[in-house]
Amino acid sequence: MARITVARVSEIPPGQRKIVVPFRGRAGIGIFNVGGSFYAVRNICPHKNGPLCTGTLGGRVTTQVPPSTRGGEISIDGDGEILHCPWHQWSFEISTGRCLVDPEVYVKTYAVEIDGDDVVVTYED
Amino acid sequence: MSDIGGKIGAAPITAPGWPAKSREGVAIVDCDVHQNFRRPEDLLPHLSKFYQEHLYDQGLHLPGGGYPNMPFRANRPDLKDPDLKERDFNFSVEFLQKEHLDRWHIDYALLTGPPPFYGYSGLPDPDWAAALCRAFNDWTIEHWLSRDGRLVNAILVSPTDPSQAVDEINRLAHRKDTVAVMVPMGTMMPFGNRFYHPIWEACENHGLPVVSHVGGGGGATRTVPTPVGFPTYYMESRMSRPYMASTHAASLICEGVFEKFPNLKFALIEAQQFWAVPLMWHMDSDWKALRDQTPWLKRLPSEYFRDHIRVGSQPLHEPERPEQIHQMLDMLHADETLIYCSDFPHFDWNDPVTTFPRLAEDLHQRIFVGNALEMLRMEDV
Repeated sequence: MARITVARVSEIPPGQRKIVVPFRGRAGIGIFNVGGSFYAVRNICPHKNGPLCTGTLGGRVTTQVPPSTRGGEISIDGDGEILHCPWHQWSFEISTGRCLVDPEVYVKTYAVEIDGDDVVVTYED
Repeated sequence: MSDIGGKIGAAPITAPGWPAKSREGVAIVDCDVHQNFRRPEDLLPHLSKFYQEHLYDQGLHLPGGGYPNMPFRANRPDLKDPDLKERDFNFSVEFLQKEHLDRWHIDYALLTGPPPFYGYSGLPDPDWAAALCRAFNDWTIEHWLSRDGRLVNAILVSPTDPSQAVDEINRLAHRKDTVAVMVPMGTMMPFGNRFYHPIWEACENHGLPVVSHVGGGGGATRTVPTPVGFPTYYMESRMSRPYMASTHAASLICEGVFEKFPNLKFALIEAQQFWAVPLMWHMDSDWKALRDQTPWLKRLPSEYFRDHIRVGSQPLHEPERPEQIHQMLDMLHADETLIYCSDFPHFDWNDPVTTFPRLAEDLHQRIFVGNALEMLRMEDV
């Protein structure tokens, strides 16, 4: 098990990120602070290799019915939990790497531990 | 949007593993690169006093910048300048060099202007449209073309006054970097109409192809983008693009434009590409039945298409099974008709490396180099 300290907790306030390069390759990883929880995501989009972690953050945009239906309301939940690739806008759940537009697609994520003020990424060698 | 930590890590992972370099090193000709100004006032030095006052008083006055719900004002978020305010882009030749030409080893980039600006073709005043085109072309010469030899230009003209479009072509055709003429695809009449023929004639006289990019007429928010009316959402508007392009292509063929101007090439870009396959098949079968209605056509419509019309590669379909792209390219006669377009710097751009699967070397060379250089008459570069 490899353990690599990639950032200070104080460097990445909630809603912010740090991109660490290189990390197991030239693309690096993005360290995200989502509401106090830290996640590490590989900075390569599985769609077309775009620099995924430089994309914009958003939430899950949902509604049950088309807008022409009475009572339909569009909600945005979990704002900041979804990452949109800057190339072509595919969306990914930061905490799991799950792609919201293709259930078979995941971006690689790494386990993150907080050790004092250190943000530590771990992975199997 | 949160801070992305400067530009560190923002670099995409390029993989310039080209099958081969050919034509003495030319490996990528990108036929759709968008330059833009920061503020409309940047055009002031290139406008006459009358139109300077017009700009001060009215602003650009362009109808609609495009279908209104493009993500991120259409631009790639990873390119935003960290020193500027959120979502702002530092358009400049240095930006283009760093983020595109150098990064991806682009040999030639055809500048096609900013699509929001294509609204000039939807202006009620054709003289203001012509003045804006002149100013933009001169601004492009000063700030872009003069600063990097890899840049070549599709000069902007407005189809709303063909006589002034012809004047602009005649004014700039002598420049080595003028290699094409851009007219926005959103129009009041399809391009085969005789109203436009003076423009096509000037293009042929100077050996310049026409490159028509999606947009204009207010980004198809002013002119009707489909035969059945205005769609509601941005994605719908994108689905209407092949109909605009195929209507123009059928019009150009049926009106005999390529009999009249046998050396004219006409590219339709950012409107997808595979619409051309059923169009060619359907036109050929219809022509056999209806040939007497357009007896000036001497050949199958598909032959005119393959000889004269080019389609841009972006946005490229991603078929259900990836290998199906090869069948589509074969049916399209991509070795003759398809030109690589990145659409830099837009959110839906197609990078030169991952967009296509590995292609046969000769087909790759045709799409990325050969078809474009022939269309642009740059074979000798």
